[in-house]
Amino acid sequence: MRDYLKRQEKLFTEKQQKRLEELTGMIAGTGGLGTNQALQLQRVGVKKIYLYDYDQVEITNLNRQLCYGKKDIGRPKVEAAEEFLKQFDLETEIITRNEKISLDTKVPQDIDIIFDGMDNFESRFILDQLALENEIPFIHAGIEEFFAQIMLVLPQSRLRLKDVFAGSAKKKTPAVFSPAVTVTASIQVLEALKYLLGFDNYLKNQLLHIDLLSSQMEKIDLK
Amino acid sequence: MALIVKFFSLFKINLKSSGIEYELKEQITISELIKKLDQDFDGYFTQKLLESDGSIAPGSIILVNGHNVIHLEALETEIDNQDTVTLFPPSAGG
Repeated sequence: MRDYLKRQEKLFTEKQQKRLEELTGMIAGTGGLGTNQALQLQRVGVKKIYLYDYDQVEITNLNRQLCYGKKDIGRPKVEAAEEFLKQFDLETEIITRNEKISLDTKVPQDIDIIFDGMDNFESRFILDQLALENEIPFIHAGIEEFFAQIMLVLPQSRLRLKDVFAGSAKKKTPAVFSPAVTVTASIQVLEALKYLLGFDNYLKNQLLHIDLLSSQMEKIDLK
Repeated sequence: MALIVKFFSLFKINLKSSGIEYELKEQITISELIKKLDQDFDGYFTQKLLESDGSIAPGSIILVNGHNVIHLEALETEIDNQDTVTLFPPSAGG
């Protein structure tokens, strides 16, 4: 076990901790959700993170995308995120892919899960399709204003993202701010780890709805 | 057992209600459910869930027992006591 993980030792069995340090995740989109996921995954000590994004840092990203500052405006997001994460000198390997995710994307074959870091449903449906074709677990999250939802989709899941969220596309740009994005990404990482480390009570055929205005979380059964 | 209708996100906040239950005498369709909800919530759901041509508006989700009605019979999907209908505008950002 790595020295800097000592304070989380009691949370996991020896087997779970070993598994945690062997995990590899793909972060699809290094925006608000993705940068938060990357920070959390690095801190819990996973083996490797793949960062995917094709965009450059813009001024409007800085209210929630925690790996970037004003000096990064115009830089490829994955490059700036990699530099930011590597300064902490922790063991998690950071691999970057400066490319747009499409149905032709060659998904790395060593990943244990795909994290949804997208900001629209059209891209998410493509990601879900890639996860299905490559038989890799996929964890969706979406955040808007004070509300979010999280859904774990497994290779054997009967319901895919489209089955639940078809018709979700909207024309207006969603309003998002840092506290709500960070909470959502943190729960997304937590739920992914619960599944990957073999906890019993992970999100099985359920959608987790988060209402930060009412301070409530509720599971919606997807029968 | 009744038909359970649950509201989430802005629907819940705007209506100050997390849902409603209806004891049905017979099956109804989602269209008919929206009319019932409109009576109880001052026309709110037609405005939120439907386009002016009567089709389902983009950006709002109607689930029957977890299944999006777009993949069922859309507004003609039949529902009965014991079913759960979930209504919410999903969060799209990231």
